[in-house]
Amino acid sequence: MMDGFRNLLRDLGGVSLLSVQTFRAFWRSPVEIFPLIYQLDHAGIQSWSITALTALFTGMVLALQFATGLEAYGGSMYTGKLVALGIVRELGPTLTALLVGGRVGSGIAAELGSMVVTEQVDAIRALGADPIKKLVAPRVLACTLALPLLTMLADAVGIFGGMLITMREVGVTSKFFVTQVKETLWVVDLMHGLGKSVFFGYFIGIIGCFVGLQTQGGTEGVGVSTTRAVVVTAITLLISNYILSTIFVAVYG
Amino acid sequence: MSAEPIIRFIGVKKRFGPKVIYDDATLDVFPGESLTILGGSGTGKSVLIKMLIGLLRADAGQILAFGQDVTQMGERELLGVRKRIAMLFQSAALFDSLTVEQNIKYGLREHHWGTESQMDGRVEEVLGMVGMPGTQKLKPAQLSGGMRKRVGLARAIAIQPEVILYDEPTTGLDPVNVRRINGLIMSLQKKLGVTSIVVTHDMDSCFTVSDRIAMLYERRIAFTGTAEETQTCDIRYVREFIAGGRGTLDEDVV
Repeated sequence: MMDGFRNLLRDLGGVSLLSVQTFRAFWRSPVEIFPLIYQLDHAGIQSWSITALTALFTGMVLALQFATGLEAYGGSMYTGKLVALGIVRELGPTLTALLVGGRVGSGIAAELGSMVVTEQVDAIRALGADPIKKLVAPRVLACTLALPLLTMLADAVGIFGGMLITMREVGVTSKFFVTQVKETLWVVDLMHGLGKSVFFGYFIGIIGCFVGLQTQGGTEGVGVSTTRAVVVTAITLLISNYILSTIFVAVYG
Repeated sequence: MSAEPIIRFIGVKKRFGPKVIYDDATLDVFPGESLTILGGSGTGKSVLIKMLIGLLRADAGQILAFGQDVTQMGERELLGVRKRIAMLFQSAALFDSLTVEQNIKYGLREHHWGTESQMDGRVEEVLGMVGMPGTQKLKPAQLSGGMRKRVGLARAIAIQPEVILYDEPTTGLDPVNVRRINGLIMSLQKKLGVTSIVVTHDMDSCFTVSDRIAMLYERRIAFTGTAEETQTCDIRYVREFIAGGRGTLDEDVV
């Protein structure tokens, strides 16, 4: 118990320190453009299909549950409103972050972990470069930029999936559904979801890098780091989601 | 050795958790010499040279490189040291995602070595020196272990360092490549006049390439001497180490 608590504090301190170093790297010199594009492609573009697929089926199942569940109270007509709010405020950003966190965060940890155990990170330093600038900064920035974009995609696809099922289950027209969504959603709702996704992207990048750079003990250590990155990222996302939502609700309502 | 030492370890202490690696290690390295640090596996030979360029931090003591204390430097000041002291890593540590050419240019770029065409010329030159001309476009995965070491060496010498650190340069190589690497270490020292610090437990390499030998024992540098002095040395652990490495263990040692 005490050890667990101490490790938690140590990791929190480590991530904070890495964050400070990363921001300092941003401050001192602009991020190198080619590594950034490479990482954006890796974290963002290559994640679009899994994001869209997840969002589509989430929107569909959400519509199905609301349409049938609200029928008893005569509230089926509100399905569109609930689907739109549920996707944009909560499920869009959160599910996207969890999926990308698993896919990209573990990848970052495995790659950096392999570089640590094969002395490539030492080699970067020995050749006069800074691993934070070379490895951490482009990855963290790419994740932070990619997540809001992916979340927008998830929002759109999720609402589309919801529309398909609402039309079938409740019998509304697509025009009615779209109008209803437009009336329901305010800029605040979009900011709520996208605002969270910026933080989520940052957490995915910085945790993946931190865990990867902490790797010890050969190839076995790389496996341990990969698993650890997924677990730590998921826990961080779920807890921070609640905290961030509380803050956004308090600020914007 | 009358010249002033260019590198000095003075009373260096280092531990990892409860494990003490160095307790008062002291060693001088003179310009232009080839010094081999001998020691058993896991005694922290690599730690010593990694502390010299600040990849690891000493817990106490002084490490002077060109008269300045490395242990007091921040990452930025260490840049200056790393420009003058290059390192060949045990696993060569080439960047997998980059070609041979990009690997060699990595350090050149960081130290603002010159224009793109000057760097191309330098890459060709150092690849020629290690006997691997024309391999610019290959990826590390396409190279054998010996070739990777040679590219790693090319990358290390590209920025024209004054000192080269070799971390177990011959470990894991076949005899032909061992001889080739040893030959390179010697020829670089002769041609470029660089100072070499070689960390190894390979006795043959040691006596082939060294002007001087330092022996690690019981968490300190327990012995230093020329190759001849080492071979005729009657300190028990030095004799044992050399005998063991030569496959001629005495009865009393067994």
